[in-house]
Amino acid sequence: MGIYLAKRIGLAVLVALFVSILAFGLLRLQGNAATALAGEGASPQDIAIIVETYGLDRPLVVQYATWLGNALTGDFGTSYFFKRPVAELIVSKVGNTVTLAVLSLGIALALSIPLGVLAAVYSGSWIDRVCSLISLMGQALPSFFLALCLVMVFAIQLRMFPASGTGSWQHFVLPAVTLGYYITPPFMRLVRAGMIDALSNDYVRTARAKGLPAHRVVLKHALRNALVPVVGLVTVQLGLLIGGSVVIESIFALDGLGYLAYQSISYRDFPVLQAVVLLLSLVYVVLTLLSDIVNAWLDPRLRVS
Amino acid sequence: MTALLTVDDLKVDIKTRSGTLHAVRGLSFTVNAGETLCIVGESGCGKSITSLALMGLLPRTAQRSAARLRFGDTDLTDARHARKVRGNDMVMIFQEPMTALNPAFPIGDQLTEAYLYHKGGTKAAARARAIEMLDLVGIGSPAERLSQFPHQLSGGLRQRVMIAMALMTDPKLLIADEPTTALDVTIQAQILRLLRDLQQKLGIAVIFITHDLGLVSRIADRVMVMYAGAMVEEGTAAEIFGAPRHPYTRALIDCIPQPGKTERGAPLGTIAGVVPSLIGTVQGCAFRTRCAFARTDCAASVPERAEGSHRWICIHADHPARMTETA
Ligand SMILES: Nc1ncnc2c1ncn2[C@@H]1O[C@H](COP(=O)(O)OP(=O)(O)OP(=O)(O)O)[C@@H](O)[C@H]1O
Ligand SMILES: [Mg+2]
Repeated sequence: MGIYLAKRIGLAVLVALFVSILAFGLLRLQGNAATALAGEGASPQDIAIIVETYGLDRPLVVQYATWLGNALTGDFGTSYFFKRPVAELIVSKVGNTVTLAVLSLGIALALSIPLGVLAAVYSGSWIDRVCSLISLMGQALPSFFLALCLVMVFAIQLRMFPASGTGSWQHFVLPAVTLGYYITPPFMRLVRAGMIDALSNDYVRTARAKGLPAHRVVLKHALRNALVPVVGLVTVQLGLLIGGSVVIESIFALDGLGYLAYQSISYRDFPVLQAVVLLLSLVYVVLTLLSDIVNAWLDPRLRVS
Repeated sequence: MTALLTVDDLKVDIKTRSGTLHAVRGLSFTVNAGETLCIVGESGCGKSITSLALMGLLPRTAQRSAARLRFGDTDLTDARHARKVRGNDMVMIFQEPMTALNPAFPIGDQLTEAYLYHKGGTKAAARARAIEMLDLVGIGSPAERLSQFPHQLSGGLRQRVMIAMALMTDPKLLIADEPTTALDVTIQAQILRLLRDLQQKLGIAVIFITHDLGLVSRIADRVMVMYAGAMVEEGTAAEIFGAPRHPYTRALIDCIPQPGKTERGAPLGTIAGVVPSLIGTVQGCAFRTRCAFARTDCAASVPERAEGSHRWICIHADHPARMTETA
């Protein structure tokens, strides 16, 4: 287990370094970084000042080292568009996005695990079809349409939750349900397939041979094994959710990272973009590492290899 | 002696794409306390399906029916009553020890599970019992084994764990479906010896399923020979091996390699012909298409004959070859 962990962590650090080089290169790939930073219609004097401020005339390696050093201390420079320190900007938005992502994931799991287990236990019957249909609708319905329906019913008709904005926990309910339902199908399919596979295994027959009640056989012996691949999907989805809830965040005017990333691209706000790319990649790296560890715990066979 | 297990007219139908497969067609037998009944027959004759039907572990596509299915005083056709017996008084070990244990849980957890469920008591008591059983089946340093996972054990060890697990609740009947087929020859012998020793020490009744008649001659008190989902002959080991009445039994016995008699490297004996399809009904004797002594009236219904505890289903009153031998 120790060696396994050390290997995983070493790999994660390597990937993180590689990603930081890419994020750094992002700006340089633009050709003349100073012109890019200065934006359209900047005067030669402006550009000269930028070259001076950012040290763009120094060798790339030195620039990278400086940038990485600063980044490690939390200094990502100043946003060109918002005229605020990038770090401050990100910190102010990251909480909203993470909250939304975690809530959505929770909703997706709370929906997909029971649906997947039911569908697998009664596979081929009408129960299976109903469960699959409920889950499939999540993907078939465009998320903006579901968002609209939810807003009409729960915000406008019932006035239970606000239709948009960021302020309180109520603001997160409708976006999280929309997003959670949208990502339910892949989880549900994975749980169903994993359960069908697990239930056909000899060890499930052994568990039944012990005279255990059906729910113990299904929920302990089969589900534990069926959940191993789900952990991997959770981490991938969490990464995607943190990076990619642009649509939902803008529909509900939820002020998160996805929206910030979108803005920084449209305003060519490179310091912000660099930081967001680096941050999101690191989230991925860390989540993958975590999933490896959890997987090792769930599947003891992985621990030795 | 009162029977521990009574099976009367057991039938199992399995729905398949090409029709209903009658895997077990009216099987009746009993198992007495403490005895070893061997069920033998070629691959596909319904031995495993029979054992799964007794345990209530049939796949969902299979349908079981029986005039009577009793374990002691318990009616096994009642699912709720059956579940109290299953894994408690009546236990089963399987052919594949490599996959029969759950890879996600330490063996200590799996060993104590049925015990805690059926017998209750503290975890510590169950643990002590598990250590005792691991020791009984000849596993060294049993206390340390409890925290190990199945993948850390060899096939032979896993089958020993399965046996220990089966013995946890102090059962009265152990069903073993080809428990050694998947193991190396030397390990096979060890496991067989272990099962025989345990049976003598603990006085458990055993239903031993195999297609190896040579093995049967070493362990069986009684033998039931199955063909195409039905019994063709049943009797004590002495009756079956000393005076087999059914041509199928005789043919099976002739296939056993004899040390000294069978030439080294000679092909193993086989019975010519193919097993009939189990889909649809079988009229008359199912073996007649492969039987050297078949007559036209074998296609009609064949009588069950009995001589004391010896039963067989054949048109001939005795094995035809023996009749000419003795004549
Ligand atoms: N799940 C299933 N679905 C359909 N048919 C099945 C199923 N399980 C078994 N059968 C059929 O039932 C019949 C009896 O099978 P069974 O497994 O009991 O044979 P067996 O005597 O145990 O053979 P072996 O010695 O190979 O283990 C066979 O014809 C088999 O093809
Ligand atoms: Mg079998």
